[in-house]
Amino acid sequence: MPQTVSQTVSETVSDTVSQTVCDPVSQTVCDPEGPRVGAGRRAIVFRVIKTVILNGDDTAMKMLIVRSLTTAALMFLGVCPLLGQAEQTPPPTVRASQVRRDDSAVGSQTGPISGYMDFHLNKPERQDPQLDFHRFVLLFNHSFSERLRFVGEVEIEHGLVEGLEESGELEIEQAYLDFRLKPQVNFRAGMLLAPVGIINERHEPPAFFGVERPFVDTVIIPTTWFDAGAGVHGTLGGGWQYRAYLMAPLDATEITAEDGLAEAKQQGFRSNVRNIAGTGRLEYVGYPGLTVGTSFWRGETSFNFKRVESHVGLIEFDGRYHRGSLGVRGEFAQVYVDGADAINDFQQRTTGINPNIARQMRGFYVEPSVRPLPKLKYDIGAFLRYENFDTQFRMPAGVLPLKQFDRSAWVVGASYYPDPDVVLKIDYTILRNRSALFGSADSLNIGLGWWF
Amino acid sequence: MRRRTRSRRATLGGVLLAVSLAAAQASSQDRRVVRILAERFTFTPSQITVKRGTIVEFRLRSDDTNHGFHIVGSNASVIIPKRGRGEATLVFDADAAGRYTFECSKMCGAGHSFMRGSITVEE
Repeated sequence: MPQTVSQTVSETVSDTVSQTVCDPVSQTVCDPEGPRVGAGRRAIVFRVIKTVILNGDDTAMKMLIVRSLTTAALMFLGVCPLLGQAEQTPPPTVRASQVRRDDSAVGSQTGPISGYMDFHLNKPERQDPQLDFHRFVLLFNHSFSERLRFVGEVEIEHGLVEGLEESGELEIEQAYLDFRLKPQVNFRAGMLLAPVGIINERHEPPAFFGVERPFVDTVIIPTTWFDAGAGVHGTLGGGWQYRAYLMAPLDATEITAEDGLAEAKQQGFRSNVRNIAGTGRLEYVGYPGLTVGTSFWRGETSFNFKRVESHVGLIEFDGRYHRGSLGVRGEFAQVYVDGADAINDFQQRTTGINPNIARQMRGFYVEPSVRPLPKLKYDIGAFLRYENFDTQFRMPAGVLPLKQFDRSAWVVGASYYPDPDVVLKIDYTILRNRSALFGSADSLNIGLGWWF
Repeated sequence: MRRRTRSRRATLGGVLLAVSLAAAQASSQDRRVVRILAERFTFTPSQITVKRGTIVEFRLRSDDTNHGFHIVGSNASVIIPKRGRGEATLVFDADAAGRYTFECSKMCGAGHSFMRGSITVEE
């Protein structure tokens, strides 16, 4: 009964490796942990015993016992990796001639839900420590077809939303439709992330060092910077890619001397688009480990003021590089507020308070880092970041800048990754300004962040 | 009896010849391994050019979270394991000239939609 034997053995092998099969249709995965050898051993022993007891054919039984015991012994000893490979189902194969161009290969699909969370303990100098569930973010996606996709990102900040001045925020940070035309040109419309800087489009907690985002990415580039708009994006070849959007402009009434542009976003809340802003980013990602990019923003911003004309312009450069265990990233951003003197004057006359808005703001940081362990499941990293940011870098004619807004920060810290998607962070921030009158508070920060 | 034996030998010879020809044809196809590193939100390299007739074996690793690798227009997709947890493999038979787009098929963050690349198959 040789047929019975081969059939039985093949069933055994099939059982052994079934967990490693990539299913192209359901898009399930190869088991990342590798073949489940233990289950294979049990299956072989079980089948041998079953066959010996139930089948009486001596030849078949002997052949099966010899084959099964040999296989089991080799697997126990781990001396036959080729055997394991031979048993695995071949990887999925795509034939170019069978790739469809008619947008019908994949039908309508939803999800799964993804998200990230950021949980912080902040202890500023001379103040009580605070526990802050800083961010709870859920991402949704739906493919109407290969070419038409929806992505949404909903965020709750600081764990609680209420109607008072001091409260958390419930925000739709992204909610757009992507019309994928071709690699060079794709169209996007809805609630968009401004394509400016490193952090704004890349803010998952395991993706950056430090418990809090860099100061430059808070007051100079107001992350998370999102608003209603539409535009195009694509790749240009040779590792170059771009985004170019028209978006709702910033609101000059919310620009402040201390926090710069941090609160000036309209955030899609009945955004005034009497004049729209233009923004774009060009970046190079063609060399392993390297990303360099430049971004700009330009938009009329004084729609809440009669007879005042003001624009906000921003130019930014950034770069990231990692090789082996070492990495470095840096960013430079400069903001130009045309008509800052007119805005200050108008605010003074209408509210009695001069906001002291600068005509230029500037910030930059450099952050070397090291991840000394080889690429294991468990990883650690350490970093040192120097930041310099001044929200009154250049003032309108006749106005002196206040030195407390010319600030610098040293941030030193470490991250521990029990899983590539989970990070425990700690850092110490030394914040300084150039004023002899106003001090700055250092802070100890501990954070737990995760992505799923 | 002899005639039957000759006939069997001829049949066996034919089968062996066919198998040999098929094997020779298969080995004449170029096979190329392309290693791609996935990380938020890029594939490196993201643009691959091969000659028509090449069998491309993509070996896919991640430097951070799980990513997906999907060739647009096909229903094949693999998940790239997280950093330090091995690699995924997908084979692309470049048997027709043209440009084919691949993309991340598992949501990996705010910039997930930008994670794309292309395979150019030249004549």
